[in-house]
Amino acid sequence: MLTTRLRARLSSLLIILSVALLSGCATTGQSKSDQAGIAPTNPDPLEPMNRKFFSFNETLDDYLMKPVAEGYADVMPHVIRTGVTNFFNNLAYLNVVLNSFLQGKIEDGFTDSFRFIFNSTIGVGGLVDVATPMGFKKHNEDTGQTLAVWGVGQGPYLYLPIFGPDTARNLPNFATSYYLNPLSYVTGIVLLPVVALNVINTRANLLEATNIRDEAAVDKYTFTREAWLQQRKYLIYDGNPPMQGLDDMFNDTSEGGTASPPAKTPAASGAGGK
Amino acid sequence: MATTRNFPAGIFLALCIVCAALGGRPAFAADAAAQAGAAADPSLQAHADAVAVVEKLHAALLDVMKNADKLGYQGRYDKLKPVISSLFDTPLICKVILSRYWDSLNSQQQSDFIALFNKLSTATYASRFDSYSGQKFQSLSVEELHKGRLLVKTELTRPDDKPVKLDYLVHQDNSKWLIISVIADGVNDLSLKRAEYAVVIRDKGYDGLLNDIKSKISNMEKGK
Repeated sequence: MLTTRLRARLSSLLIILSVALLSGCATTGQSKSDQAGIAPTNPDPLEPMNRKFFSFNETLDDYLMKPVAEGYADVMPHVIRTGVTNFFNNLAYLNVVLNSFLQGKIEDGFTDSFRFIFNSTIGVGGLVDVATPMGFKKHNEDTGQTLAVWGVGQGPYLYLPIFGPDTARNLPNFATSYYLNPLSYVTGIVLLPVVALNVINTRANLLEATNIRDEAAVDKYTFTREAWLQQRKYLIYDGNPPMQGLDDMFNDTSEGGTASPPAKTPAASGAGGK
Repeated sequence: MATTRNFPAGIFLALCIVCAALGGRPAFAADAAAQAGAAADPSLQAHADAVAVVEKLHAALLDVMKNADKLGYQGRYDKLKPVISSLFDTPLICKVILSRYWDSLNSQQQSDFIALFNKLSTATYASRFDSYSGQKFQSLSVEELHKGRLLVKTELTRPDDKPVKLDYLVHQDNSKWLIISVIADGVNDLSLKRAEYAVVIRDKGYDGLLNDIKSKISNMEKGK
């Protein structure tokens, strides 16, 4: 099948690329601790190239993906969409299982395994999420998060054609999620509508987020990058990112004098406290 | 499923064996459910004044959500305007967002920007909180940061969807607590805008930024 072969080739290419990039960023020694607050180094050195791919994706989205996803969202009953989402989430879940274990979250690894097993069987091939009400919480783990936990630096921000926002550190996830997804081993013409359904459904699930972005963003590219990088950090820390650095932005301002405007910061260090 | 080919059945089998060995539903699976019903965090009481500011905002939001249709966009905007003006430290927020550029503005430009940004924040809330379907806000805990700043952690629960974590960074200005930043599921609106605005000023100049913000506001007005 063309798409399978393409994806396989693409993931091997990405593995090579990511190894190259990761070894590159290992030398810069950018650890995850110094990403707190405002990163001292530019997180987006490849911005010119990224922006080109961004406008490519945006065009594709405007004329094809988004209209199709909107049509799908309009006609599909909520129950069916939930079922479809559950089904594909479940197929992708072995990657979560692996990465829970790789991060040393042994308990999570086991509950994630149970989740997969119960949803695949009692949950009719994953269509129904029976595991959540049973107390097996859904986790969000991937190989990029595992590498972050292992201390690998984030590497440059990447905006990939078709796939969208990413970082170098996250690229090996293409390989693990590919090889651990049972769908990757399905061949034949049946794969085409299945993959199409997955793509359309995924895009439909993102409609709310992209609408909020389009409403709020004055620069969509920057908005997407910042939101994505922050969201990644949030996921790496399982929803509890360190609070230190959170309010760093306010440290260079002389807070006491907000009523009397610009109080030059260096001179006012006595009043505001540096 | 259709034709499955060389799927690593070994992995699946191994997992099944491990699970079977452990037997049934493990006790730790119920942990999360037990924790959810825990009593209110003592940090909320210790910082009751700061929490009250956040809860005041939430009450105002719930109010416009519940009366969304009756009020319309303009009605929601008018109700939220005084609340947001009194609960957010908009001057400080603007200063941090425009960062280096702030000092190059004269005081008239600064106060114009503050007014415009206040309008943008209000319009955003008025346009986004436009319906009610059983959502609830709940204060969870308070963390202490540098220089007396606090992080008030809350959660917005929705009946058919995942909860959203809303963390509010608050500081004290003349003994009054004010919100200076909102973080939704780890995404900090303030640092996001700061990055965005820097790019727009770089590409289109400061006037370009003002125009963009104004057109955002008018789109939200027209949208509802």
